[in-house]
Amino acid sequence: MLRHKIYKNFSSFLKMAKVKGQKEESMIWTEKYRPREFSEVLGHPEIVKRAKAFVQNQNMPHLLFSGPAGSGKTTLALIVAKKFFGPSWNENFLELNASDERGIDVVRRKVKSFARTKAFSGPFKIIFLDESDALTKEAQQALRRTMEIFTGTCRFILSCNISSKIIDPIQSRCSVFRFKLLDKKDTAKIIERIAKQEKFKINNKAIESLCDVSHGDLRRVINILQASASITKNIDENTIYEIIAEAKPADIKSILELALRGSFLDARNKLLDVMLKQGLSGLDIIKAVQREIWNLNIKEEEKLKLVEKCGETEFRLVEGSDDFIQLESLLASFILAKK
Amino acid sequence: MIPWAEKYRPKKLNEVVGNFEAKKKILDFIKDFSRQRKKAVMLHGPAGSGKTSIAYTLALGFNYEIIEMNASDFRTKQQIHEVIGQALKQQSLFSKGKLILVDEVDGITGTRDRGGLRELIRLISETTFPIILVANDAWQSKLRPLRSKTQFIELKTIDKEILFSLLKKIAKKEKIKISDDALECISSTVKGDARAAITDLQVLSSAHKEITKKNALDLCYREKDENIFNSLRRIFKSKGGVLKAFDNVQNINNNDLFLWIDENLPLEYQGKELVKAYDALSKADVFRGRIRRWQHWRFLVYINAFLTEGISNSKEKSKQDYTSYKPPSRILKIWIANQKQAKRKEIAEKLAKIIHTSKKRAYKELPFLEITFQNNIPITNL
Repeated sequence: MLRHKIYKNFSSFLKMAKVKGQKEESMIWTEKYRPREFSEVLGHPEIVKRAKAFVQNQNMPHLLFSGPAGSGKTTLALIVAKKFFGPSWNENFLELNASDERGIDVVRRKVKSFARTKAFSGPFKIIFLDESDALTKEAQQALRRTMEIFTGTCRFILSCNISSKIIDPIQSRCSVFRFKLLDKKDTAKIIERIAKQEKFKINNKAIESLCDVSHGDLRRVINILQASASITKNIDENTIYEIIAEAKPADIKSILELALRGSFLDARNKLLDVMLKQGLSGLDIIKAVQREIWNLNIKEEEKLKLVEKCGETEFRLVEGSDDFIQLESLLASFILAKK
Repeated sequence: MIPWAEKYRPKKLNEVVGNFEAKKKILDFIKDFSRQRKKAVMLHGPAGSGKTSIAYTLALGFNYEIIEMNASDFRTKQQIHEVIGQALKQQSLFSKGKLILVDEVDGITGTRDRGGLRELIRLISETTFPIILVANDAWQSKLRPLRSKTQFIELKTIDKEILFSLLKKIAKKEKIKISDDALECISSTVKGDARAAITDLQVLSSAHKEITKKNALDLCYREKDENIFNSLRRIFKSKGGVLKAFDNVQNINNNDLFLWIDENLPLEYQGKELVKAYDALSKADVFRGRIRRWQHWRFLVYINAFLTEGISNSKEKSKQDYTSYKPPSRILKIWIANQKQAKRKEIAEKLAKIIHTSKKRAYKELPFLEITFQNNIPITNL
């Protein structure tokens, strides 16, 4: 029943684009308001300047975009491609997401067959490998030679969250661009721009809390914004919290607080719930726990102990076979933390 | 009340169910005994497959006197010599001949029954009467010296169809009302053990006038669960001395064991104890991961140590109060969640292409977009 409803909502939502005579993409604001010009990109003036120069000179090296999620890496890659190739950009641009296809096979088959042939227009083709820190080491090794052999016909833009996960030989073949999260001022500008276009009102407190809950991730900001605007045309900070509560019934912090209070059973049941509902892996949880420890209301030296336990748990998680048992073992150690 | 397993023990070889090939082999062995090079057979196979029954029906059929030694007897060199060696020297008074049956050969232990096996092997080479050895596990290394002197005949578990018709016959004789699906249930849950099947039928008939499938199911599950419950109780309640707690737990594999412990651990332990116990469980899991990775199965020893002694010793002192344990619920929860999320994943995949991101990331954004979808349904679709 429930599944069916979601599916129906989704497809009818996309169908609305047809009624309005628009592309499906335009229904989702992260796409609708994705910058199409260099001048629209906020927050990275230096990077944009250099990217613009590549297009003007009709040449560029391989690029490595490194930075947190929602900071504009994909956006810039798309703009570069569109500016290089104009209307035929789609034929000369291959977008692959490494976290979905992370094996060596992808490099051998898809990347190579695309890179082999000459570009239709423009000096070369561009392959955009998104989230390439998810590529296995073997795949990265295979990529390394491919990048050299096909320099005549093809350029690579790699994007990653953490550049240290990219092997050195690849980093040395790329010009590295480091992206930072947008600051609140720029984020606010974007929010106001969207508010004006979509004809809704949003107060300053709401903007503030929107920035807080999304940790500067612009994609998250805009998705929450669109959800909020679908409820009301007058968004205040309560709307934002309402949306968060509905989308994420329990967060890691509340689970940890349950454990701190000693109700281990409730804490672990909630943990399993959250993992299943949001499809999170053990590693996702560890990352979040490790972040939240610093915000807990306990003695400072206890925090360090718990972070150490976090590290030990992460190690055992990699070595062991049942993620959940390892997480429970971590959760149990919160019971003893002194306030 | 006689156990039915004894009451209905076969009298003739063809009444022993299943294992036709093995029965023919051993019949040939006895018939042509004088021409046999190997003077003994080893009947081996799982419990309730008919090993002892075959030996007895053969003795009856040929009118041989049966000389039996089993695990309840001491079986040192001297003892074996006295019982079997003497029997071999004398002709039988009343029967045509003798049949020597050594039951549970794999139970002849090295220390308690010193020299027993060697004496047995010596007797096999000079016997004038057929010797039948019986064992569950004939491939133990200590039984290796027997192989050159003994013909090995393997018995397999009994097919459930055969068990079904066997039970049906007995039910008819005992005038029990039992439905066919209940019989089917018994026949398939005993895993080919004829003795267990007959015993189950007797237990059920003493409790119910009319036996339904539900009764049969209850019996099977109750037994299975009671086993694990007892083991859990030992580990959770007492402190130390529980290394063998899981040795007798059948039908539950290692992975299930982890789930059972994981489910019930927080019901029993609090505070410091809980932390210690989870640490032990976590270490056991690490070794499980290492087995998976390196296929080094000896690590099982460490898993067992952490699951039993590790968890048991996490407490200050032993516990008295009663705790009722629950069967694991996690796997079921995961399964339900997966069913629910199959469609969501499908949507995330489509979405990922539209918004230029990975499926994983799209999945994470889905809850927010879902609210947008919900509130933007066009009027024509309502």
